Amino acid sequence: MSAFATLASVYNTPAALRGGELLNDTTAQSRARALNQFLASVELKAYKIAQASLRHEDDALDAVQDAMLQLARAYGDRTAEEWRPLFYRILKNRIRDMQRRRTVRGRIMAWLPLRRDEEDEEAPDPIAQAPSPEPMPVARLEIDEAMGALERALVELPERQRQAFLLRNLEGLDVAQTALAMGCSEGSVKTHYFRAVQALKARLGEFET
Amino acid sequence: MSSNEEQLSEFERRTRAVLAESLTRIDARTRSRLNRARHAALEQAARPRRAWLKLGVVPGGALAAAVLVALLLVHRPAHELLPPGAESGQPLEVLDLVADDEALSLMEDEDHSFYEWAAAQGEAAPENGAEASG
Repeated sequence: MSAFATLASVYNTPAALRGGELLNDTTAQSRARALNQFLASVELKAYKIAQASLRHEDDALDAVQDAMLQLARAYGDRTAEEWRPLFYRILKNRIRDMQRRRTVRGRIMAWLPLRRDEEDEEAPDPIAQAPSPEPMPVARLEIDEAMGALERALVELPERQRQAFLLRNLEGLDVAQTALAMGCSEGSVKTHYFRAVQALKARLGEFET
Repeated sequence: MSSNEEQLSEFERRTRAVLAESLTRIDARTRSRLNRARHAALEQAARPRRAWLKLGVVPGGALAAAVLVALLLVHRPAHELLPPGAESGQPLEVLDLVADDEALSLMEDEDHSFYEWAAAQGEAAPENGAEASG
């Protein structure tokens, strides 16, 4: 049983039931609670990052859940300060795996003519996923337009630039943490980030909000 | 972060504001699904892993690939798996595709290299078929 399995088993088990292990259980419970709180604090941002790369709601949710599970299993016993960059590194790998799987699946499906139409139907459609137009205040519309423009511009960025930009500006990681999360040097993070900002500026211009 | 805030450009401040706002627009259904996903992940992590998973005897991807190939071979005759003009033996490429980790690792750093490779494979396929038949 992994270290976290030991501690997280009390996530659902009252410590009082476990008698002499009360002290350990209390520690384990507090760690499980801390992990739960940490994951709750990152799940929305992680979802946005995954969605920006995968452009598919269910895939993004799957990637986030897988990253949560792997962090809990493999790194639940690490210090809370380590969780954030570790979590985003796991998420980055999950996104890459899902992109690979999607590509391979696409090639395999090309061999199955009967399934090809069905697969096409499952492809993410950004227009279909866009929120339905409803009457709303002008300010909200302007923010929505800015948000839509930014999201479309982010989709156009190379993967590494998008990661660097979102980890810095959405999650608020510093350069060192971003480097840890992306599995590269701080210099690379700075390069990817600089190029991302330049590309977004070129595309979005003034970008009034 | 606070030390970095002062050095942010106006563009970065705006994009941060928009990104932060985008989080508040995530709908209740998605929030609920994320919440459920978190609890499911924590509960699943609490369960002991099966021994064969710990040992990595049967990786999930390999198992899925084996099942897929088996289904392909059982439900579709080999000649139906071939593109027009292709010779027998090419179904093995399907097997290679799903079983060979090296093929997947082509995408390791930059995705576009894999796509270039995949496109080259697609372009080369009819020529190979023609050479084989000729």
